[in-house]
Amino acid sequence: MLTRLTGGRVIDPANDRDGPGDVWFEDGVVIAPPQSDRQPDVAYDMTGAIVLAGGIDIHSHIAGANVNTARLLLPELRSDPNMAAVPASAEIGRLYIQMGFTTVVEPAISPHVAVQAHLELASIPFIDTAILTVLGNEDYLLELLRGGESKTAIADYAGRMLAGSHGLGVKAINPGGAAAFKENVRTFGLDDVVPRYGLSSRAIARALQQAVLDLGVPHPLHIHCNNLGMPGNVETALATIDALGDLPLHLAHLQFYAYGNDGPRGFSSAAPRLAEAVKAHRQVTVDIGQVMFGQTVTVSSDVLRQFNARGQAHPRKSLIMDGDGAGIVPYRYRRTNFFNAVQWAAGLELFLLLDDPWRVFFTTDHPNGAPFTTYPDLFALLLSRDLRAQWIGTVPAEAMTVTTLPSIAREYSWPEIAIMTRAAPARLLGLADRGHLGPGARADIAVYRPGADLAAMFRHAELVFKDGRLAVRQGTPVETLFGRTLSVRPGFDPAIDTRLSGWYERAFGTLAGAFDVVPDALGVADRFETVPCRQ
Amino acid sequence: MNIPARINGRAVPLDDAIAEAARLIIASRCTVFAGLATDVAGGAAAIEVARQVGGVIDHMHADAALRDLDVMRRAGWVVTTPAQARARADVVVLAGPGFDTAWPRLWDDLQLDRPPPLFPQTARRVVHLCPGRIAAAPADAKLSVLTIGEDAAELQPALGVLRALLAGRPVRSDAALLQPLHECASLLSSARFGVAVWSAEWLDALSIEMLCGLIDDLNAKTRFAGLPVAPGGNAMGLAHVGGWMTGFPLRIAFAKDPPEHDPWRFDAARMIDSGEAELAVWISSFAPQPPPWRRAVPTVSLVAFGTKFRSTPAVEIGVGRPGVDHASVTFDFALGTLACKQISMEERPAVPSVAEILHRIGGALPDASPRPC
Repeated sequence: MLTRLTGGRVIDPANDRDGPGDVWFEDGVVIAPPQSDRQPDVAYDMTGAIVLAGGIDIHSHIAGANVNTARLLLPELRSDPNMAAVPASAEIGRLYIQMGFTTVVEPAISPHVAVQAHLELASIPFIDTAILTVLGNEDYLLELLRGGESKTAIADYAGRMLAGSHGLGVKAINPGGAAAFKENVRTFGLDDVVPRYGLSSRAIARALQQAVLDLGVPHPLHIHCNNLGMPGNVETALATIDALGDLPLHLAHLQFYAYGNDGPRGFSSAAPRLAEAVKAHRQVTVDIGQVMFGQTVTVSSDVLRQFNARGQAHPRKSLIMDGDGAGIVPYRYRRTNFFNAVQWAAGLELFLLLDDPWRVFFTTDHPNGAPFTTYPDLFALLLSRDLRAQWIGTVPAEAMTVTTLPSIAREYSWPEIAIMTRAAPARLLGLADRGHLGPGARADIAVYRPGADLAAMFRHAELVFKDGRLAVRQGTPVETLFGRTLSVRPGFDPAIDTRLSGWYERAFGTLAGAFDVVPDALGVADRFETVPCRQ
Repeated sequence: MNIPARINGRAVPLDDAIAEAARLIIASRCTVFAGLATDVAGGAAAIEVARQVGGVIDHMHADAALRDLDVMRRAGWVVTTPAQARARADVVVLAGPGFDTAWPRLWDDLQLDRPPPLFPQTARRVVHLCPGRIAAAPADAKLSVLTIGEDAAELQPALGVLRALLAGRPVRSDAALLQPLHECASLLSSARFGVAVWSAEWLDALSIEMLCGLIDDLNAKTRFAGLPVAPGGNAMGLAHVGGWMTGFPLRIAFAKDPPEHDPWRFDAARMIDSGEAELAVWISSFAPQPPPWRRAVPTVSLVAFGTKFRSTPAVEIGVGRPGVDHASVTFDFALGTLACKQISMEERPAVPSVAEILHRIGGALPDASPRPC
């Protein structure tokens, strides 16, 4: 079916396009305007509307045993339409597609629990999905590193774990921290070492960063640094950028590391320093992990941090899982709380001080900083300095003395939004057919109708097409569709299987392959799509 | 293969049995999907059909699963996986009886009488609190097990004394029990990475909560984690499917939107015994197990071959065993996670899975509005 979107403002930064025009697509793919006088089967008049590629969220915890256990722990957080911290799978797809997002990455799945994550992803309608495979705390890997094994051996291991778990990239979460916690270590920084292995977090992260490069995986190592959430932890983030920023590196939810220990309460925003460091390291990309006010639940594989955060649980209950490391701690960000207000401000400062939208990504670290259902309000805050001023007036004045936010006038432009949420994430993840509207692009398209209420515009897109099929009209889903799961299949020496299985049998009493994702057994083999690695 | 399908005990073609099942479900004002011993796909299909007709879902091991989940969601806990327990636990506490049935291969799977593989120089110490009449350790175990108490009823007070001893509080207790509990307390507090294992099939919720409290206390100074043995029949697999499809584990009613969860109201046995439920869909695909209730309620049975019923089901359809007759995903309690089970094509007989049968029944139902249940 040939479809034409007529007369909207088409913003497609990947193809240097911004202005009134048409978008044509057929059989799920964007095409050049037909040369002949072919008439479209369907045409939509988009005059006055804004036409973008479908949104891409690179970091949102939407599936897996940890998220699902959070659902069981806090069923009351599943259905509030504006603060749905842990919605059911079907709701996740509906809420995302209504906002015009068409691809979402679940960023923290251990290879040992990937089967459940993929089952959950397969039950999320509308959107394409992927997981990042968490490595960095496994005893097998630490033994390889302690033994001084070659880069190739580390890359073979990472490649094998990506293949078994069907991951799109590699994530390192406080690397070494979960292993050290099992040895009763209670704080763990970049240069602390895992007992018995003598390996620092820095060394583990570097080895994984190199392995990702050697495998040709498009997405660079996606790192969750040490000391998340602690006053003064900007030093950790700066040291990490110094240590690893000479090679491609993605820093997750940077806001949670933008803290100094100045000011009346020993807690301040250090976002300006951090922004300068990111600007100076061209190979570094970041997502923000913005905090928004309200009840949520923090779900993290940083088990050490979550264990230490148990005292702040609201309501007062929490789960700690010691396998690959995970912790679930409910939390309420209060507008009237000094510390929460500083966190909120630090995230916005990072968004506004980092001036290259190709290297900054739009996230709340759902649900850790806020549920993704707060995205519309966050977009509005970035687009309007007046709205920010209103919000600043509602938080403790004392908190605004330890942040530069009130002094920042910048407003995001539509092309910057399009880069940050479409073109740049597609490039970061290696998805050549997404994030743009040039011929050959997948026809994932979101159309917004600007109005006085910016948040309402983002919450309910006027039209959303997924693979060329109309999924949303006037903010309401019209037909339930299912997308694909994206993963890389890097090459690796299959001899790793024998070594790995020997080790697993001895240590765990099982074959390493017992944890593998088998698409046939999941019943969704046709949903998997391979993203090519660099040669 | 000829699929066994019967209506009122009389062999019929499969299509007729499916049509009759759909007819009964349409005619019933309240249908409970019970047993639910099936794989993830079967559980998801049951939830879909229950949603279509406003029914209720329950599981044959829901009591045990919900005892664990109730402690988890009320108080939280610190837990680990079987792999970690085997690989690194230097102290293992087996709490309460029942391991011989709840996890018959426990001793072998965790290799309890050998040093933990990641710490080959460390001798493993095992404590069994209140083991009941059958100890978990095999007769030829090379390891001496510190056994304290006997009956499960002694577990709660023993845990209370242990917590008090560890907190340095004065305790009064049976002298015969106090001395080994002292020994146990010192063992626990000197553990490097201790693990306490229990089966909720055999413990009451208060004992589980007390044990999780003890684990919490120990984590103030050392590392300790719980290891709940997953109940049978893939109950944890079903609880997880319920979680991502509805936000709730087992015992969910779909009469309203959003669905409701209530461990007492939506207990299938209670609903059938009280006459609230008019029809049961009984699912037992791992083993030929008949429904446990005595009241004769019309029943559609999707069961493993050879199931003997107390009273003849209205409809009986033979289904394959997950991971044996068809590829499947189930909660593997030795792995502590959902895992895939493949089978080779040659082994695959033409026997339908629970999911396939339920999809066909669901497809035969009209789009009706849910009924109150």
